[in-house]
Parts: sequence; C-alpha cells; structure tokens
Amino acid sequence: MSKPTDLVQGTLDLLILKTIALEPMHGWAIAQRIRQVSRDVLQVNQGALYPALHRLEQQGWISAEWGESENNRRAKYYSLTKSGKKYLHSEQANWERLSAAIGLVLKTA
Amino acid sequence: MRWLRSISNRLRNLVRKDAVERETDQELRFHLEREITQRISSGMSPEQARRAALLEFGGVEQFKEDCREARGVKRIESLVADLRYGLRSLRRSPGFTIVCVLTLALGIGANTAIFSMVNALLLHPYSFRNLDSLVRVWEDRGIDEGYDARYIAPADAEDLRASNSVFDGLTTYSMQSFGLGAKGDVPPVLGCRVSSNFFDVLAVTPAAGRLFAAAEEQPGADQVAILSFGSWQRRFAGDPRLLGKTITLNSRVYTIVGIMPKDFDYPVPVELWVPLALTPAEKTDRTQLSLSALARLKPGVSVSQAGAVLSNFSHRLEKEYPKTNAGRATTLLQLRKELYMFTLPLFLLLQAAAGFVLLLACANLANLVFARMIGRQREIALRAALGAGRARLGQLFLSETLLYSSAAGVVAIAASFASVRALRTSIPVGWTKWVPGWDGIRVDSSVLAFTILAALGVGLFLGLATVLHTSRVELNKTLKETGTGTVTRTKRRVRSTLVVVQVMFALILLVCAGLTIQGFVRLANVYQGFEPARVLRIEISLPEKIYTDNVKITNFYQQILRGTAALSGVQHASLVTNPPASNVDSATTSFTIEGRAPLKPSDMPSADLQIASPDFFNTLKISSVAGRTFSDADSANAARVVVISRGMAARFWPKEDALGHRIKLGARDSTEQWLTIVGVVGDVRQNWWNPVTRPVIYRPFAQASQHSMTLLLRTSSNPTSYVSAARGVVRQTDPAIALQGINTLEEEIADSIAIVRIMGILMGIFGLVALALSSIGVYGVLSESVAQRTHEIGIRLALGANPRDLMKLILGQALKLTAIGLAVALPCAVAISRAMASLIFGVVTLDFTILGGFTALLLLVALGAGYLPARRAIRVDPMISLRYE
Repeated sequence: MSKPTDLVQGTLDLLILKTIALEPMHGWAIAQRIRQVSRDVLQVNQGALYPALHRLEQQGWISAEWGESENNRRAKYYSLTKSGKKYLHSEQANWERLSAAIGLVLKTA
Repeated sequence: MRWLRSISNRLRNLVRKDAVERETDQELRFHLEREITQRISSGMSPEQARRAALLEFGGVEQFKEDCREARGVKRIESLVADLRYGLRSLRRSPGFTIVCVLTLALGIGANTAIFSMVNALLLHPYSFRNLDSLVRVWEDRGIDEGYDARYIAPADAEDLRASNSVFDGLTTYSMQSFGLGAKGDVPPVLGCRVSSNFFDVLAVTPAAGRLFAAAEEQPGADQVAILSFGSWQRRFAGDPRLLGKTITLNSRVYTIVGIMPKDFDYPVPVELWVPLALTPAEKTDRTQLSLSALARLKPGVSVSQAGAVLSNFSHRLEKEYPKTNAGRATTLLQLRKELYMFTLPLFLLLQAAAGFVLLLACANLANLVFARMIGRQREIALRAALGAGRARLGQLFLSETLLYSSAAGVVAIAASFASVRALRTSIPVGWTKWVPGWDGIRVDSSVLAFTILAALGVGLFLGLATVLHTSRVELNKTLKETGTGTVTRTKRRVRSTLVVVQVMFALILLVCAGLTIQGFVRLANVYQGFEPARVLRIEISLPEKIYTDNVKITNFYQQILRGTAALSGVQHASLVTNPPASNVDSATTSFTIEGRAPLKPSDMPSADLQIASPDFFNTLKISSVAGRTFSDADSANAARVVVISRGMAARFWPKEDALGHRIKLGARDSTEQWLTIVGVVGDVRQNWWNPVTRPVIYRPFAQASQHSMTLLLRTSSNPTSYVSAARGVVRQTDPAIALQGINTLEEEIADSIAIVRIMGILMGIFGLVALALSSIGVYGVLSESVAQRTHEIGIRLALGANPRDLMKLILGQALKLTAIGLAVALPCAVAISRAMASLIFGVVTLDFTILGGFTALLLLVALGAGYLPARRAIRVDPMISLRYE
C-alpha cells in the first residue's frame, strides 16, 4: 500500500484537483475515486487528504460547500474555483512534460 | 480574486473558529461513517467494521491539528495565546509594569514632543503648495553681511520680473512696524508691505475677503490691509463683520479687505499685510538694496538652471548700469534650505538629545527585564524542556516587550497631546513671534506615525535583546537548582555595561544642556557690547502731518528727554532709531570717505546708520574708545559730526586714526554734507542671530531728525515702575502722541532669543531625566547584586567583617561603574562641545567647569544610588541570610 507520504506533495494536490474537476465531491468520494481510477494503486489516507483539502481551500484553488450526500447525510463538497481550473491546467501540463521526460530517460538510458 | 478569497477564508478561520472546528469534526466523522458503511456492505459485522475503520483512521486529533495548520491559524493562535499570557503576567506585577511603561513613555514622549516641533518647524514650516519650487532671490555684493542682508534693488527686481524665463512669478516685500490705532497707547504691530502678486506666488488664498489688486500698488490707492488670522482673533475678537471696516496704521486709515488662513505666517508671523506702493523715484532705484524677493520656479526648471539664468541677468545689468550694478550677483536659494541653515542644527541637537533619553530609558528597561528574566529562568527552562524552540521563546518575549512598548506608546501619545499643548501655551507669544511654523506645532498624523514606529521599534529592540540575553539557558542546571536562580558572570557583565552606557549618555546630555544654557546666558548678556539691565524702552512715533520739519521734531524730542531725565530715579534718558535686540535690521547706507580714490558702486563701503541723542552711549553703557561722544552742542546749526563703531574704524582706517576724517553718506557726487568723525565707540551686537558685527555710523539726532525713535531710560530700580511717569511726560508735551513697544530691554533681549531659551529649557529637562534614569540604573544593578550576594555578605558578617568595609565594597562597585562610564563619556563630551561651539552662533565654548561640575554631580548621584543597597547589605542579619536558601 502506498502511503501518503510516498506521494509527492504536489502530486496529491494535482490528483485532488483533477478528480473534482468533473463534479463537486466530498472528501471520502475523492479518496474512493482516486483509488478506483488508479486501480487500487494510489490509496489516499485521510490524514493527508483533509489537510491537503483545507490547504487548497485556503489557497483559493478550491471552494467548499455543504450539501446532501448520496445516502442523505450532510457532507462537505469541494469544487474547483476559476483560478483552480487554470492552476490545474498548468500543473497538468507540467506533470505530463515531466513524466514524459522521465519516461524517455528510463526507456533510452 | 484568489487572494481575496484566501483572506476572507483566513478571517473566517480566525473569527468563527468554533464553527470551523465543528465543521472539520463533522467532515471527519462523515468520512469515518462511510468507511464503516463500506466495510459492512462488504460483509463485516457492524462491530468489526467500526473497529477496523477506527484502526485505519488513526488519531483524529492529529488530523485536526494538521488541518488547522493547513488553514494557517496555528501561528496566529499561538501569538494570541502569547499576548494573553503576557497581559496576565503584566497584571500579576503591576508595579513592575507601571515602572516599565512610564519609563518608556517618558522616552518615547520626549521624542514625540521634539518630533512634533521638528515636524512643524522644519519639515512643514510653511504649508505652501509645492514648497520646493519657492526660492528666495537676492543680489549678492560679495560682502559677508550675515543671514538677513539678502535684498534686491527695486528696479533690478522689476527688470527681473519683466525679462525672466524661469520664474512663474516674482514678488517683493519689506517688513515694517506700524502703530495701530488713532489715539492713546498705540501698540506696535509687525506688518509686511508686499507686491500685489505676493499671495499668488505663494499660492495662498484668503480665509475671507480678497487679495490685493494690481492697482493698489499705486501710492494713494494703497490704503487697504489684509489681516493675519491670529491678529483677527486677538485684536478684533474674530469679528465676523470686520471686512470693509477701517483701521489706523501710522495715522493713515486702511480698509480691511481680507483675512488670511490660520497657518499662513510668511515671511515671519506678522499681523497684517499692506500693498508695497513705491513712489516712481523708489521704483527706479538701483542703489539701495531695499526689498526682499521671493519667486516660484516654473515647473521643470531646476534651481541650478535658474541660477545660470540669473547670473546672465546680473552680467547684463552690470553692463547696462555699471555705476550701480557692478559686482552684484543675483543669487537664489530654496526657501526650505534658507530656513534649514538657521534651525536645522538646533533641532538636530534637540532630536539627538531626545533620542539619547529614549536610549537611556531603553537601557533602564532592558536592565529591569533582564533582572526579571533571571527570576523566570526556571519557567524558561521548563518551556524549553517541553519542546519550545528558540523561535517560539523569542515570540513569547517579543510579544511581552511589544506589550510594554505599545502601552508606553499609548501613554506617550496621550502625553504628547498634553505636552504639545503645554509647550504652546506655556511659552509667551513674545518668545515665538519670530519662529515661523510655531502655530503649526500639533500632534498630526506624521507625529502619531512617528510615535507608533518608535514604540514598535523599542518593543522589537527590547524583545530581541531579551531573546539574545536568555538564549543560552542551561536546561539541566537550571531545572536541577532549587534556589531562586543564579546569575552568570557574563549576564551580570551585560547589565553592568548597560549602566556604564547610561552614565555615559547622562554625562553627554548634561554637558549639552549646560552648554546650551550657557549659550543662552551669553547671548543674553555678554555678547551685546552694552548693559541691558534696568533699561526701559518705549517706541515713539510722531505723525508726519503735524511734525512737518526738523525743528518741530527736535523740539518735541528734546522736551521729552529733559522731562524724563528729570524724573527721580532716571539716571540717563536718550533716544535711538534702532535699539539692540529689536530683531529688525538698522537702515544701511553706503558712504564715501574723503580723500580716497573713487570706487565702483559695488565696492562702496556701507554701514548701519543710527541716529542717537547725546546720552545714548551712557544709557546703554557703550564704551567710548576714542575721541568724544555727542553733546547738546551738536545742534542743527553746529558742524556736522558722526561717531563710528570700533569695527568700522578698524575696517576702514586699519592703520591710522579715524578721528578727524570726513565721510559723506551716498556717493561722492551726492548732495549730502561731509560729516567729521569725532569719536569711536565700542561695537554693539544688534541682533543675536547675525554673527557679523556690522560697522555703525551714529549721527546726533538734532542733525538728522527722525519721526520714529525709541526712548531709552536707565533707571536706578525696576524699570517698569517708570512707565506711567514717562507716559506723563509725553502726554504733557503732546497728548496725541502714542507710545508703543513698552518693555524692559532685558526682556526684549530674552524674547528675541526665545528659541535658544526654549532649547535650553528642553535640554535642561532632558539632562535631568537622564540623570534620574542613570541613577535608577545604578541603584537597580547594585540592589540586584546585593540581593544576589546576601548569602555571601551574611557569611562575611558572621565571620566578623567590618560593616564599614562592606559598605566600601558596595559603594566601590557603584563608583567603578560610574567612573568607567565617565571615562568613556568625557572625550565624547569634549568632542560634542566642540561641535556645538560651531553650531550655536559661536557663543558656546568648551567649558571645563561645566564638564567637571557634571562629572562630580554624576559621581555624587551614583554614590547616593549605591548608598541604599549598601545600607541594606550591612544590616543583613547573618542568621536570616544564612537560612535564606
């Protein structure tokens, strides 16, 4: 199981931002979604998830709102802000360039 | 946008802390519930699911703390906690707090008070729009005539105005004293005659009414006046319907057309302005430099550019009018700089002195705080042991010292309002009538900003000093100790050093104060060349319509002289045109010496002209150097004679006797008569601010009558008791004549050097405060050391030590500290007095009695401060002190 500390900090932020880019989500759903999409490779621990969410909110990339969850409970839904979207695009581009570069090095070297 | 959101988030986190905490709690609980539900649906029993989920979930409190940190509230919260703790500890020891806050408030308040003066008099002396584009313009004849002799000839000013390309406007003015009112005692009011564009150049508008029209510059149309705000308030009780009413000035009726705003007091605080109406003859005059000029530079024109244009202008005039203008250079200087030359050194000195007081207060406080830190060593060690880092401890100390200094700042601001009011009300109007900007002294935003900055700076400084001082806490040792804590040698040395520095500053401040006061006394007494004691002065002005000729004037004044001289108690009665310390320059005149080669007009010698009655030199006890002074025989029909000053004789007849030579006022071809020099008298310093003693020509009043003269009476007792008798004599002679400017000469002199007097008083206060602070410092350190050594002293006493020896030991420590401070301070004080000698008008000299006196005083005070702890030490009961631990 990959522990949250193994995730590079910026990577977790990127994953969170990408995940809620589709629709507003609460913390648990975000963690589930990341796990499912990564086919159980990336498991986000709540101890890393919630501080990250609060920090992103503090920085203004995401905003939070209380809403009804699928099982009719009150849950805090996070969604991307406008500047958060821009930030996601640039970070995603960065990441792709970086991983392509690393891939290139690993393949050829 | 993002920042806005971030800030609003942070605010919400701070202000609605509880709600945010609750939400986080809820959020985490929701997550846990989902985990449990998921496990149940995958087949676990609810019990198992719950246990497994909790196990995986881990420490909720730790997450919450991480979330808090992520939200950025932790640092602020801890600061709030520190401040709260600080406040509690301040409340716990109110005595300590009060002493700290008052000491600092004293230091900060002193700086605030001086800064409010600097702010008003130096930084914003005039509230003119775009002050830096205003320049004074004058014609320099290459002779050192002192600060004030900066004049321009009327015709030259007119040419400059017509031809210039660098000024937006050029205006001329001239000061004049008027007698206000028609009958009875006519009070003298200081006025200024100004060209009609005067206020336009300064870019000021009247508070009420209008400015002068160009047509009012014509003689005959010029009987209009604009009042100053202060004059309107004082003399006319702020009468709202004053505009259009008339006043009588020098027996002419003027209509009041305007009132200037409160803060307008250019060129000096005057009471009124009237148009400068020059006669055609005066307008075309190029010989007499009689007007002051002020100009506003065009936007974008620099002072040096304007200087170049002015020098071309002077060359052109030199070529066109070689007879009058040869050797004259038209010069300019920024208004602000002109003011600086005069007041900057004074205020730098005062502000530096106030800064010293603040440093002394800081040193005292540092000592107090350090002493307290020793008591708190265990607490600090405990904090460090529980994991408080150096930065965290620093934050704690900083927030405590910032609390002190902010409280002190608040006290200082409150005190500064009071002290500025006291400063302004306790100082008589007469003292400050020559100080531009004095009315502007107030606590404004920049003064407040200064105070707040000073308070914060002091807090930071003290906090950092405390942090450095307590940084090396030896954890183990301190925690193991059971006693009240110990002081390491280095720490005691730090505190002793502080006391040494205090003594040093105190001596320097005291010496500065002593020298300033000495300067004031010298200015008032020694440097004038005459004896002002017991002399009454009364200004008399005869109406020109009635006293039309020389004979009438001379008869009137002779009667006055005879009448007043006959009063019992009056030793000498005399008249002069411009008595010393009048703060007004004497009329200057150029003259020609008989038998000397003709000179270019610019090289023509000039001198102050005084008209005096025979007994003038006796009245003021001006020494006679050679020849004779005047007598009644020097009447209108007798041979024309003059007496000249020693300086004049030395300047123009350096190698020969001046007696018997003849001079003529004006140029060689003037119609004036030749005047024979019959006597030489001592130099008189006319005005204190002019370091140059100018040559003076005295003429007997019967041969050169004047409408306005000042009556001087040397009396045998209090001069003010002769006022009514003198008034009676004048009434008898002509009941319609008004008396002005009644004052003793001594008071007049004191008024004229008010700024030095104010400075002397302030410096004296600073010196005393410094003395008090440093003696408290010595006392504190010695008390501390006696308290620390109680055990040792007890043992010594128990073993039979002589109490006298113990006393000597402790007093010796006090003397040692003081002596080191004095040894360092003495060379500094010598250097500073040298610097002051050049700053304060050349009247201050290095004075070893002052140095020695204050050194002895400081030693005595240190002994006194050491005596109390020393007495406490020898009264130590060995039994108690040995049981003490």
